[in-house]
Parts: sequence; C-alpha cells; structure tokens
Amino acid sequence: MKQYKCIACSKPDLNKNTVGINQKLLGEDIKNFYCMDCLADYLGCTVQELLDKIEEFKEDGCKLFV
Amino acid sequence: MTDMKRHVYADNAATSRLSDKALEAMLPWLKEEYGNASQPYSFSRKPKKAIVDAKTQIAECIGALPEEIFITSGGTESNNWVIKNTCLDTPLRNGIITSEIEHHAVLNACKFEKEYSGRRITMIPVSTEAIVDAQEFSRMITDTDGLASIMLANNEVGTVEPIRQLCEIAHARGLLFHTDAVQAIGHIPVDVKMFGVDFLSASAHKFNGPKGIGFLYAKRGSILLPYMSGGAQEMGMRAGTENVAAIVGMAAALVENLDELSDVQNYLKKLEDLLLVKLDAAGVNYERNGARVHIPGNISLSFRGYDGEAIMHCLDLMGVSVSTGSACDSRRTQVSHVLKAMHVDNERARGTIRISLGKYNSEEDVETLAEALVKALQVAKV
Repeated sequence: MKQYKCIACSKPDLNKNTVGINQKLLGEDIKNFYCMDCLADYLGCTVQELLDKIEEFKEDGCKLFV
Repeated sequence: MTDMKRHVYADNAATSRLSDKALEAMLPWLKEEYGNASQPYSFSRKPKKAIVDAKTQIAECIGALPEEIFITSGGTESNNWVIKNTCLDTPLRNGIITSEIEHHAVLNACKFEKEYSGRRITMIPVSTEAIVDAQEFSRMITDTDGLASIMLANNEVGTVEPIRQLCEIAHARGLLFHTDAVQAIGHIPVDVKMFGVDFLSASAHKFNGPKGIGFLYAKRGSILLPYMSGGAQEMGMRAGTENVAAIVGMAAALVENLDELSDVQNYLKKLEDLLLVKLDAAGVNYERNGARVHIPGNISLSFRGYDGEAIMHCLDLMGVSVSTGSACDSRRTQVSHVLKAMHVDNERARGTIRISLGKYNSEEDVETLAEALVKALQVAKV
C-alpha cells in the first residue's frame, strides 16, 4: 500500500481511515492528505468529530474505510 | 473550539423545529388528560372534543370540511393510502399518472402497485425548472388511467406546480386527482376547493408540528377504502387509538403558521436574498435550481467541480446542517432523481446542495451559513 504523509506537519504513515476521510471531505481525487490533527484544525472541528464521521461512513458501507 | 460552535439548522424541508405554541397545546394531553378518546366515559370527553376541534381547525386552514380530514402518521402514509386504496372498484381504469419528481413515498407506492397489482404507471417528464407541463400531462393521460398524483411543491428544489390547472385537466378526463402537499402546507396558501383536488397529503413536522402525525384530505364522496382495520376511529377508515397530543399539536402549528404566513414568507425571501448576496460578494460561482415560483426558503444550489456530499459533510463539521438532496436520499451517492428529471447534467447535479431556511432561522444564521459555505467550497474540491 502506498505510504502517505501529512501535507501540513509531515506526519508519516497516514492510515486508510485518515486517507479516506480526507477523500470524503476534500475530494476523491486529491493527491495531498492531512493527518487527523491537521485536518481537524483545517476544518475547525475536533478529531473526535472526524472519528464520528468515519464511523458513520463505515456503517453506511463506504469502502474508503476499514 | 467546538464548544463555541454555533449550530445552524438549514434543513427545514427535511423537518422543522416544533413551535412553542404547538408544544404548549400538546402538553395537557400527554399529562393530565391522557384518556383514550374512543372510550365512552366522561374522562374521555375532553380528548374526544380536542380531536374534533383540531380537525375543524385543520379543515378551516385548507378550505375543507372536518369530515374530509383523516388523521395519519404523516405524508408517507397519506400518499400510500391514496395510491393503494383508490380506484380499486374500477379495474378498467386503475392506471396511475404521476411525475418523475415525486417523493419516494409516491414513486415507490406506485412501483408497488405496478409490481403487485399490475396497475399501469405513467411518469410525466418535467421541465428544466421541475414544472409539470399541462399540455404534456393532458397528452399522456390514457383511458385506462383512474388517478393522477402530482406534488404541490417539490421537496428538493421547491418548485410549485400548477395544481389547479392539472387538476382541471385530470377531472375533464375522468381521473381523480391527488396532490402530495407535504412541502407546501403551512408555507404557501392551500385551499383544496380552489385547487379542486380530490385528495391531499400533509405532514405536521414539515410545518413546525410534531413528528409522526399528518393528515389526508379526501373530498366528501370520494372512493377511498379503509387504510387500517380495527376500531371505529377516523370513521372506520383508519383504526388505532388516536394520538391526541400530536393531533392537537399539528392543528396548533398549522394555525400558527397560517396566521403569520405573509410575514414569514417575506422574512424568508429576505434571508434567501441575504445568502445569495453574501455568496456573490465572496465571488462564489453557483447555479440555482428550480422555478421562480418556489417554496419560501428552499434554495437548491449547484457548484460545478465540487462534490455536494463533501460540501454537506464539511458544513456539518462546521456546525451547519444542510442536505444534498431529499432527506431520504442523503445516505446514498447516486444523482438525485429530481435533478436527473430536470435534465441537470451530472457535474452540476453532483455539486448540488439543498439549503432550506425556516422561520426560526436568523440573519446571523444565514451569515454564518454563508461564511461556512465559502470555506467549505475552498476545502471540498473534487
């Protein structure tokens, strides 16, 4: 699997759920990804709110998440 | 940061906040006066009278007679009742003619009738503004059709249909006419006698009433079979112990909305204009969907090159609730059947969100919404 690092803080090895929530919120075809902390900061929300979203997407059967 | 986040609810076409007056009207029937309205003793006298009074109020609000109002659980039940339980005594004229932009409560009820009863279903196309064309409607009616079902206002884009004209055409061809008025009742003037409709569906939670309650108007003398068998409630047409509090709350909410209708319509128009001015000032490129004559506060906007679902989720994380289509569709990713019927191209349809403002929204709400939307558009690019 391709390795991704955060475009803002360079945190390495972003996991599939982090990549997935980036794609869900920023667009499916994006090339640059944020880590959970930087994405939450970027959107003005908490990491927990992003995690809640991920759980909802998973419950809906979205294949971007594990 | 999130503790300070303001929540802006801008999805009033999905559901609306219960009005204070409706809540106050409901409380006695949940607490002190909890009697079963169908019982013969004196403790049931007040609940029984409350239902009669509520139905009288509802009837007055839409120009009907009290005996023409049947309480249901909401729009979906009302729509199913009419589509599945009319015309059954006329097997040679049991076809249904409807439009491509109806709510799934109508479309799937029609689909059910086609699959299980073999009824012929005709789907009328709409214009790019989601308007059912009267000439096309007349042309597509056949001698085997017995019922027409066309919504009064569309839930996704707010377009108001020419119901009176369509109803006249249907009647001239011998069809009964039903309108799903769920999005319209309590938001624009509705008079069943002026429209001439035989049946009309309504849902309380769309006009600041409680959830789980609605009504079906059925013109006196119209052929309608009972929906549920059991006790004698609703003149034997829909059995089951009445939800007195919800019925009373529905009537109170409807009366309140109609009392302030003109002022709220003007207020929502002002909020609509404010939102669009803010977006224009921020240099946002958008296309608005629907017709000039629309439900006040219903704003369907398309942003080319964007993903409407991503915009909706970004706004959600910023504390703003909007929809990507009808509420029942928001968990699916396919293009809305309404936008498809309006011949909206895929790129535009994909970038569409529905903002539906209500009487409890403030100018501050709209300003927050506009700021969040501008930010979401900077974030949520395809």
